[in-house]
Amino acid sequence: MSERSVSKQTQEKRWYSVLAPEQFDRDEIGETLAEEPDQVVGRTITTTLGDLNQDSSGNNTKLTFKITDVGSDTAYTEFVKYELTRDYLRSLVRRGSSKVEASITVLTTDDYRVRLQPVSFTTKKADRSQEQAIRRVMIDQVHEAAADRSFEELVDSIVEGRLSSAIYGDAKTIYPLRRVEVQKLTLEARPEEVAAEEEAAVDVDTEDVAVDE
Amino acid sequence: MSDSEDGKWGIAHVYASFNNTLITVTDETGAETIAKSSGGTVVKQNRDEASPYAAMQMAEVVAEEVKAAGLEGVHVRVRGPGGNLNKSTGPGAQATIRALARAGVEIGRIEDVTPIPHDGTKAPKNKRI
Repeated sequence: MSERSVSKQTQEKRWYSVLAPEQFDRDEIGETLAEEPDQVVGRTITTTLGDLNQDSSGNNTKLTFKITDVGSDTAYTEFVKYELTRDYLRSLVRRGSSKVEASITVLTTDDYRVRLQPVSFTTKKADRSQEQAIRRVMIDQVHEAAADRSFEELVDSIVEGRLSSAIYGDAKTIYPLRRVEVQKLTLEARPEEVAAEEEAAVDVDTEDVAVDE
Repeated sequence: MSDSEDGKWGIAHVYASFNNTLITVTDETGAETIAKSSGGTVVKQNRDEASPYAAMQMAEVVAEEVKAAGLEGVHVRVRGPGGNLNKSTGPGAQATIRALARAGVEIGRIEDVTPIPHDGTKAPKNKRI
């Protein structure tokens, strides 16, 4: 009895093929199973850059897409996350050298809020002041990159490694660098959400704030 | 990888602790379960649940179901207990992957997804006899 009901259940489910966003040429990235089309919305699917572009050099990069819209048997996605694989990041860490990380939240020109986490590896142990200088360069470069790019352009510049090579060019005068990568990029808020927050935000005057003097 | 060719892929989530091994095969989003198994389904004694032998038996059963569901291969995500517990995977992880491959399921990416704390609670103290 129970076996029959299970097989009946799976018969009602259908496969939806998941397509990448236009930015990534609408390639098919996978398939998912569901009873109702509504159930598919909100699911996330992770793939590597190598799979998407058919080159094995991108196998250390994971891209996560979230399903936003469903057609008759296809699901459409948006980009939500860029991440380096853990084993690749681990392979970069060496004994006796410094790892400089930063986590920066920026607003792109089209009002997407994005969190970026660049990371640099030096050839030898750097001093604290040098680490701080490198971190400063990373933060400035990320702010600069976000100031004149839309979300799509920003993602492109990171996927193609232009941001990390810009940081590398700027920071290698401070201390010899072995490698610069963007280890993570996450979509924090879309334009509508940012606008809603601004609507809800209340301006506070300085005189309204109680400060003990 | 041969992802783009026709044929569906899934994800095999393998949780290998030192007390048990859990295998769950889902679709590529991880939202729909296709097959699952755990150590208790194949061995009698509790202490054998984490053994490589149990993992092999489980993987064979799972591979059968996976092929019946029409999946060509699976990407593998292994994890150990993680958190403030042991970061290494148990004895069942290796055996599962090998048994799956031998049962004719193609293996794609293999990834370690053990949860690593960015600092949290203190780890349990060492067990004394």
